[in-house]
Amino acid sequence: MDLSDREKERYRRQLTVPLWDQSLLRSSAVFVAGVGGLGGTSALYLALAGVGRIRIVDRDRVSVSNLNRQILFDEKSLGQLKVEEAGRRLRAANPHITIETSSETIDRGSLVRLAADMSLLVDGLDNVESRFVLNEYSVQNQVPYLYGAVRGWQGMVGLFHPPRTACLACFLSENRETPSPVPVFGCLPGTIGLIQATEALKYIMGLAPSLLGRLLIYDGRDMTFDPVEVAKNPACPVCSGRAA
Amino acid sequence: MIIFFKAGSELRHRLNPDVDYYTRRVEADPGKSVKDILKDLGLDPAFVAFVYVEGKVKNLDYVPSEGQTITLQPPVSGG
Repeated sequence: MDLSDREKERYRRQLTVPLWDQSLLRSSAVFVAGVGGLGGTSALYLALAGVGRIRIVDRDRVSVSNLNRQILFDEKSLGQLKVEEAGRRLRAANPHITIETSSETIDRGSLVRLAADMSLLVDGLDNVESRFVLNEYSVQNQVPYLYGAVRGWQGMVGLFHPPRTACLACFLSENRETPSPVPVFGCLPGTIGLIQATEALKYIMGLAPSLLGRLLIYDGRDMTFDPVEVAKNPACPVCSGRAA
Repeated sequence: MIIFFKAGSELRHRLNPDVDYYTRRVEADPGKSVKDILKDLGLDPAFVAFVYVEGKVKNLDYVPSEGQTITLQPPVSGG
């Protein structure tokens, strides 16, 4: 790995972290679906850590109600495409990496192209339907899916890599109704996004143990972290019948 | 048989805890699923996405055993 003197200085404090492998981070490509509360937080810390290529996708524009939690935006961002604002901020945060942006809607058709050469899918989405699209892509293409979600005081993170592990549809139903807009305060997606970023960096560097095949359920009001195992569901409508 | 339902912040007000801040003691018929026990308590299972028991995720068809604690997890879908 040929780091410039500037990069060596930038990453100096993390290069001495035990088992840290900057070359693996530099050669990796991570897809971040959504750059709101979750995805904005994880994308920022992946960029700061030196992940070589980050592709962010979000179709939304910045609205004033985003500003209680979405750290890549401010009052001057209002009305702008999130990916343009986020891209500008991430490039400024670390000019030594590549930030790719798209404002396309994430659906089954577009995802095949948008995530084609990515080695990890990071979930920064805000709805169940899009998460199931991401999960299906993960199952069909055997690309690991770093799930994250928040509501109220609670959030959860999980890393799924079918067919080695369960998938999202093994334990969640797409049809489950949730209130819209989902209640959320800024610290919560920040906390969950940071855990996602930590797990993403560990995955890229091949560091176990991880949340692979598990969920970490966080309750900010009670300040509890419950790790729970997710078994493969033999009747899963998405991943059952696929050989490990 | 006696089981215990536990719920975090979002579901706690529906559960009416009586053991501690999180937990409700429930007398349930052996062989009944979590979904049916919730209905017997007047709790709508639609508020629960899944449960976890002894560190493992289960669906609402799970049949608890005597003395188990079942944590109820509401849907979490924001970002």
